[in-house]
Amino acid sequence: MNNPHHLNPTSLKSRFTTRFLRALTKIRAQKPISSSSPTEIFRRYRRIKVAADKSMAYSVRSRRIWSRAMLWKLRSRSYRRQDPCSGRRSGKTNQAIMKKSSNENTTTRREDGVGFVEEADELRQLVPGGETMNLCNLLDETAHYIKCLTTQLFSPIGKG
Amino acid sequence: MADFSAQSYRQPFPFLDIDPTMESLTQFAELNPQSFILDNSAFNFQTFFPLSINDSLFSNQASQGETMSGFIHNSNQSSVSAQPIFSAKTEMEEISNKRKALDISESSSGNSSSTSPQVSETGIKRRNNSGRGKRAKSNEKEMEKPKEVVHVRARRGQATDSHSLAERVRRGKINERLRCLQDIVPGCYKTMGMALMLDEIINYVQSLQNQVEFLSMKLTAASTYYDFNSESDAMERMLREKAEEAKELERLMREGYVGIGGVACFHSSSTYGPL
Repeated sequence: MNNPHHLNPTSLKSRFTTRFLRALTKIRAQKPISSSSPTEIFRRYRRIKVAADKSMAYSVRSRRIWSRAMLWKLRSRSYRRQDPCSGRRSGKTNQAIMKKSSNENTTTRREDGVGFVEEADELRQLVPGGETMNLCNLLDETAHYIKCLTTQLFSPIGKG
Repeated sequence: MADFSAQSYRQPFPFLDIDPTMESLTQFAELNPQSFILDNSAFNFQTFFPLSINDSLFSNQASQGETMSGFIHNSNQSSVSAQPIFSAKTEMEEISNKRKALDISESSSGNSSSTSPQVSETGIKRRNNSGRGKRAKSNEKEMEKPKEVVHVRARRGQATDSHSLAERVRRGKINERLRCLQDIVPGCYKTMGMALMLDEIINYVQSLQNQVEFLSMKLTAASTYYDFNSESDAMERMLREKAEEAKELERLMREGYVGIGGVACFHSSSTYGPL
């Protein structure tokens, strides 16, 4: 191998690491913390957490339902923060679709005929975008989500 | 774990429309919900299947679990040309990832040597013993979509209507996925039953998410600390060092010097740290 220090440069782990590092350096460059007030610290914590989620979702792109849901959530939140009107305009169709499907799911209690409704609902709340999935896809997405979470935790960025 | 089993089923099965006698036989068979196997005294399926199926099968190990055991029907007519065999072979190759081809080759080799009633008995026995017999049923259901004559192989005492078939397919898929999750999630055992397994999975996902939050808080604290001490690029340096250390470790692990080598590497890198 010509670069012995990298694993597979296109693996999930390396994609996530590079993206997260970039995001972190950007955060640190943005705002040299002036005061150590709790709100400041909390704000930075939120930013770092969002950066972690975002870099994870972008490493997976749209290949998975949960990553699409997460990306949509992040985007709608950022639009809403920047400009309340534009958020309503652009995210409207998506929001309508998501609302409609989640309403359907909450009213029609997803009785998949297998009898694990409570646990399945709880799992749906944990996995992003889980409300719109049937049990089969939910289990699939859960497996991939767990894999990505462990990649995040064991990435070289001091996280594991 | 995408469902490309659905895709593979859309392939046409041209070799199934062999002759009218076959059709009458299959109709009779469909009336009879019990297992049957047609005699294949004229065919030498066993010579073909080991060649074509088993290697394509074993190369595509997957947890697809859909089967095609009922797919093979053996003709009584010796006048049937060799052409169906070849198309059968290609169909088999197209429908990869079918674990049950082992059973097929078994059953076909068993069939060629026995007469019809005996064969059907052994067929029933074999189906009931394989513990995956119900998947055979679901597979036939999928294969009925191309509107060819397909033999439905039902287990004894199991309903053959489309609803229960679909249910069975769904349950099979869910079981398969749960099995994969069971490998990933530590502390999850099939003996616990599905509800407990799901609880374990939920706990695991929650703990992973909490860990991610906690570690990002740790990162925040570290960055605030470094900011405070006005070492503005210390964070990047620290991160880069950690990344390099971790990559060194992984490289050494790959080369096999896990125990002592890893520790030695750590020591050496920490001694020449720029801070």
